[in-house]
Amino acid sequence: MNRIVKFYHEMGSPPSFYRITRHWLKPMLFLAIVLTLYGLIDGLFFAPTDYQQGDSYRIIFVHVPAAWMSMFIYAIIGIAGIITFVWRMKVAEAVMMACVPIGALFTVITLLTGMLWGKPMWGTYWDWDARMTSELILLFLYIGVMGIYSAYEEDPRKAARLAALVAIIGLVNLPIIRYSVVWWTSIHQGSSISLMGGSNGIKDWDMLRPLLVMALATKFYFIYSMLSRAQSYLLKTESKKQWVKQVIKKELSGDQS
Amino acid sequence: MRFWALFKRDVLVSWRKKSNIYQPLVFQLLIVTMFPLGLGAGAQTLAKVAPAVVWILALLSTLITLENIFKDDYEDGSLDLYVLSGMNLYLATLSKASAHWVTTGIPVILFAPVIAVLMHLPEHTYGVLLLSLLLATPIFSLLGTVGSALIMNIRNGGMLLSVLVMPLLAPVLIFGAGAVLETSLGNSARGHLMLLLGCTVLSLTLAPLAAAAAIKINLE
Repeated sequence: MNRIVKFYHEMGSPPSFYRITRHWLKPMLFLAIVLTLYGLIDGLFFAPTDYQQGDSYRIIFVHVPAAWMSMFIYAIIGIAGIITFVWRMKVAEAVMMACVPIGALFTVITLLTGMLWGKPMWGTYWDWDARMTSELILLFLYIGVMGIYSAYEEDPRKAARLAALVAIIGLVNLPIIRYSVVWWTSIHQGSSISLMGGSNGIKDWDMLRPLLVMALATKFYFIYSMLSRAQSYLLKTESKKQWVKQVIKKELSGDQS
Repeated sequence: MRFWALFKRDVLVSWRKKSNIYQPLVFQLLIVTMFPLGLGAGAQTLAKVAPAVVWILALLSTLITLENIFKDDYEDGSLDLYVLSGMNLYLATLSKASAHWVTTGIPVILFAPVIAVLMHLPEHTYGVLLLSLLLATPIFSLLGTVGSALIMNIRNGGMLLSVLVMPLLAPVLIFGAGAVLETSLGNSARGHLMLLLGCTVLSLTLAPLAAAAAIKINLE
């Protein structure tokens, strides 16, 4: 069989998924830590000071990667949700539910760092501009997915399918919410503040580099956290199955292979 | 036709249990009293926030009724019968949404001018207010069927329903309250109303699908 096809099928089965991805955790965590350290040190100490915003712009190295992740993870949840909903794959359920708290966490980080950044820049912690408002609504969508899952928790498969449905509904609505909010603020405030957009984007490589490194670091952290959550999700929901018993037996006997 | 049979039954059930119909209106009246008490009774102060208040009250008063769209049917087992009867679930949820709209949406639309008078909403905006509510209340009912189908077998699911439905209603509120606000400022509300109509059509086509899917999962 074609190796890619074989890999794809293996990833769809909980025992093989567990067996394969268990070995990915440490490298992913390692990469995430190293890149975060490098990115933060580079960003906080070596990147040039912004001529307009001074040093306070440096929060961008946390804020923007977190914002990217908050949206990226929702997209993953949507895709995993569609797979869950259509093909009822257990691994997709695990991946989807593993993504939700991480995505919500990145959304909260985005909002908090945005507020901290807003105080020196705009003179206020909160401004109802399009980005902040739609980010806040994104947080509500995450909370909705978590809420529906925890309401049906006794029946994880049903809970996952309902959560998938909620995620898909959210995915369909996200562009509508986004554009309505953008339009709403454009009516009320004229132009909103654009930090990265258009020709005013970052051109200096010394500023861009830590940002990209941090973006990579958050990706690796996401993969690490998502996989380990998905693994424990599978262990928990499949706890009656033979493979889980074998895994536990193996790990108790200290055999790591 | 089953669609009409179900529709007639639901309207009748709501009509017999009058509280379903007047509860949202009493709720609106109670809350609207809070605004002058909190904001000060000046006509100008109230008129400024009136488009938002009238709209948000219509939205909230509908929201408190959504939980029960499927709950009773689920609890007494009639929902199982709809499914067993082989009735198209898309049509069944559409029928539920229509019945909910007739018994909640229409009273809310008709009551809106009363709230508007109490809030000193400028008179020339009444037409747009009614039109925007006419376009938006079906969305409330349609998204309500989705939310209600998702939470029908949860106890105290009302809070969860709000969390699920509110983000989806944000665009509706923006366009709807925006239309009234623009009119009160002397601008054209055409764009807002068009977009609102777009939302209505979109939810009319997609929401019953989602609600039907939720029912199927819930009854499995």
